[in-house]
Amino acid sequence: MTGGTEGTDGRPLLSVRGLTKHFPVMSRGFRRSVLATVKAVDAVSFDLAAGETLGLVGESGSGKTTTARCILRAIDPTAGSVMFHLPDGRTVDLVKLTAGELKPIRQHAQMVFQDPVSSLNPRMTVGDIVGEPLVIHRLARGEELAGRVAEVLARVGLQPEHSRRYPHAFSGGQRQRIGIARALIMKPSLIVCDEATSALDVSVQAQVLDLLKELQREFRLTYLFVAHNLDVVRNFCDRVAVMRKGRIVELAPTAQIFSDPQHAYTKILLSAVPSPDPDVRMNFNVGDELAKLDAADQS
Amino acid sequence: MSESTEKPLLEVRDLAVSFFTPDGVVSAVQGVSFAIGRGRTLALVGESGSGKTVTAYSILRLIQPPGRITGGRILLRSARAGDIELADLGEEDELLYRVRGGLVSMIFQEPMTALSPVHTVGSQIAEAILLHQKRTVKEARELTIEMLGKVGLPLPSVYYHQYPHELSGGMRQRVVIAMALVCKPELLIADEPTTALDVTIQAQILGLIKTLQRELGCAVLLIAHDFGVVAQMADDVAVMHRGIVVESGDVRSVLKAPQHAYTRSLLDALPSRRRPA
Repeated sequence: MTGGTEGTDGRPLLSVRGLTKHFPVMSRGFRRSVLATVKAVDAVSFDLAAGETLGLVGESGSGKTTTARCILRAIDPTAGSVMFHLPDGRTVDLVKLTAGELKPIRQHAQMVFQDPVSSLNPRMTVGDIVGEPLVIHRLARGEELAGRVAEVLARVGLQPEHSRRYPHAFSGGQRQRIGIARALIMKPSLIVCDEATSALDVSVQAQVLDLLKELQREFRLTYLFVAHNLDVVRNFCDRVAVMRKGRIVELAPTAQIFSDPQHAYTKILLSAVPSPDPDVRMNFNVGDELAKLDAADQS
Repeated sequence: MSESTEKPLLEVRDLAVSFFTPDGVVSAVQGVSFAIGRGRTLALVGESGSGKTVTAYSILRLIQPPGRITGGRILLRSARAGDIELADLGEEDELLYRVRGGLVSMIFQEPMTALSPVHTVGSQIAEAILLHQKRTVKEARELTIEMLGKVGLPLPSVYYHQYPHELSGGMRQRVVIAMALVCKPELLIADEPTTALDVTIQAQILGLIKTLQRELGCAVLLIAHDFGVVAQMADDVAVMHRGIVVESGDVRSVLKAPQHAYTRSLLDALPSRRRPA
């Protein structure tokens, strides 16, 4: 499952092994005893080469977002390791680091969120939002800060005067560009895109995807691209991991996933995508097929 | 657009809708025309702000001030109630109440907007029956349970007593479909009914709409931005851009040989049609 992922220096940028996140299900009332555990992420392993784009696809509840959040330590995983190769040559296990040790490393791994409304503070100007990571990490201030904000805004296709405005004055696509600028200003090596284009109209989505591709070439970015839209993944990712019930059921180069899916679940998922060609009929009967798959899981 | 020579169920001619805001007049829909034949599915496609939802809301006269229908006609040729000129109906017109939820019903993108959080799903559907049909409370209840079964809820008599927040998004959308179809409408307006759902749930909901449409013989006005959904569901397509219909026709000719530059640009933006950058 991990073949062909080495970077130029022979080491993957990110190496995830046995990543697991269990959430306890508590009983009602005062005593709050643990009734069961939900295995949101269950022994997930994959490598991510420098400059690569890996798509993480699955339905809601499949654990794709939880996996992404565990990797960035937005939440703490229950078990597993996340080896991250730093630009200075060191390799660290993100799972084992304390909050204090983690902070300087966070600049190398950034995130772009799905909802461009809730992920931008409405009371901060765009300039303050985009510059905030530099302030938090004390990497720039004053003239230099303003200069770098202007530079990164220009790079994502926004105007310098936009930095004085507030997020509400922008369209969905522009807001997503602001989110990308905020991630990019840290000069990260890894960007986790959590449904970064899901809320956008198709033509705006195409522009944002183009921008992400350009930035990847220019800054040699590595993307972990969490998405539910298989069509987007198909044209954007080098490899795809399909998740179901907390596990990766299939991981393969994108072309192979789409032309020759191996796992029954991947096949069902692909058959449910409505084709824009009226002569290619989609499968309306996925409910029964998924039920059969669930029954097979039980036995 | 209809294959037969009979007159279409719904005819919209030169519909214009404007919003009179303090900052000026915004013309959201400016002269839209289309027709839907009985039992047919017409998809209104466009990006956000193109006016497709405003057009759909106009049919049910749901445009709220400062918005207003400023011109055009919306003719519903109901088999049950005769010809109704919807654009001319007064806000308090008895006929409008018959149309809404009776002759024409609607399902929304976000099912929670259509469901009351403080009533059980069963009682909400039964209420629609009692409003539009001469039935006893007991009959309405039985009909509701039958309908919940039809839309694929397991144990419909149990689901009857559940509240919307206890259901998943897909189950909620099934409830909304049950509510919309229980009075056997002649036209169902579906406003992005599967946009908020996973692809496998979407497939099931679209299949359900198709099956029930065939069973009831109702026409569907599908509001969509996803050409995949349009290709799989619609007989005819009207592409909207900035408040006008730029292109319309049967689904094959529009999607396979688009004539208008805007339609082409939308189709070219589809991830599946784009070459890797």
